[in-house]
Amino acid sequence: MEILNSKKGLLVSGLVIGALIAVLAAAGNPANMAICAACFIRDVAGSLKLHTAAPVQYFRPEIVGFVVGSFLIAVATREYRSTAGSSPMTRFILGFVMMIGALVFLGCPLRMVIRMSAGDLNAWVGLVGLVAGVATGSIFLRKGFSLGREQDTNRAAGTVLPVALAILLVLSVTTALFAASETGPGSAHAPVLVSLVVALVIGAVAQKMRLCFVGGIRNVFLMRDATLLLPIVAIFVVMLVYNLATGGFKLGFEGQPIAHAQHLWNILGMYAVGFAGTLAGGCPLRQMVLAGQGSCDASVTFLGMLIGAAFAHNFNLAGAAATVATAEKAATAGGPSNAGQVVLVAGIVVLFVIAATNLRRRKAAAGVAPTAPAVPAEAQA
Amino acid sequence: MGSRTQPCVVVGFATTDDAMALADEAARAGLRGRLIPIPRVLSAGCGMAWREPRDNEAALERALRAAGVAADVRAEMALPV
Repeated sequence: MEILNSKKGLLVSGLVIGALIAVLAAAGNPANMAICAACFIRDVAGSLKLHTAAPVQYFRPEIVGFVVGSFLIAVATREYRSTAGSSPMTRFILGFVMMIGALVFLGCPLRMVIRMSAGDLNAWVGLVGLVAGVATGSIFLRKGFSLGREQDTNRAAGTVLPVALAILLVLSVTTALFAASETGPGSAHAPVLVSLVVALVIGAVAQKMRLCFVGGIRNVFLMRDATLLLPIVAIFVVMLVYNLATGGFKLGFEGQPIAHAQHLWNILGMYAVGFAGTLAGGCPLRQMVLAGQGSCDASVTFLGMLIGAAFAHNFNLAGAAATVATAEKAATAGGPSNAGQVVLVAGIVVLFVIAATNLRRRKAAAGVAPTAPAVPAEAQA
Repeated sequence: MGSRTQPCVVVGFATTDDAMALADEAARAGLRGRLIPIPRVLSAGCGMAWREPRDNEAALERALRAAGVAADVRAEMALPV
């Protein structure tokens, strides 16, 4: 498994994940949205009737797959560790704001990369915001930001989210309990089994390689280390080839699937994602992987994202996709409503408050620090 | 055929704050190492670690004490130069 974390391994893993994303694109997931952690959590929230936006309701097996795939590989390789207690309510808020930002932009960082690979220049604009957000978060990390140490907790606690999601998936497949879109993005999806298997593999690989779109950029700012960006570049390349080969590549700002060209709000949306993700310790996908390997704090962040998605659609905060003119309707520019703009800016203010109020005062010369037991030398990088 | 490696002491931290505290102390304590993403063999998390040439381990110990931080995990590893 350690081969996955060499530079070559990270590149190959990224190529594999890119190929799996292409499978989902070909199998029926929405255009430029073969995988989107934020959009798919939003769809799950809709299917559970936490919001009632009819076009975005579907219990996405991919969300289950990411968490359960990480859980299974962590258990199998003895890396499952149930932890909790690192400012859970603060993490809930970070998840909430991260989701508002993502839904104003219309995508998580992974979908941003997929959109970039399809020629959507709005996503490149969003990248500017994401990098700026991570840079801001990194400044606070450098100044001593911390949400506190996770503590080991009851071993069963970390299994709650994976098990709950698995049960909900069974219910979604075997009953008509949950809502399902008949039109719109929620109605476009790959077959359940394909979605689940692909996501299980991605969840497992992502756990092993620590795939994180926010962490990759953070490492550049804090450690001048770009290693974690390698799989992201690989995913971009695979999807670029896929889009070129299938006619999905279209360079420009206008006419992009499920996107808008409100540049300021694309930047600010991804800024919130980058900033909140840096403070929370990972992008939306990484939060699900961490939850799978036993982090109850990441599970709380996931719940924050789920509720944030419900708020975004119940109160019309999410960005609307731009539309072209038809015989019945004029073209629309899309973007967030006034309420969405206000809540996003307020969310960014909240992030600054969280960052500023969780700076630890460092004590120099505080005496002898206890040291950890040595790890066997055979554990070579 | 592999890249050149250097014997190092690697210490990981429970929080980013601890890693930054050591980084702040590094120059004063005469450390020659740097912050790195914590090696995957040491943690499934995505925290930070400090790598220090093994021949400078005593300075690392002094820096840890001066910064008032504890190593969450520690290992001796051969890392690429």
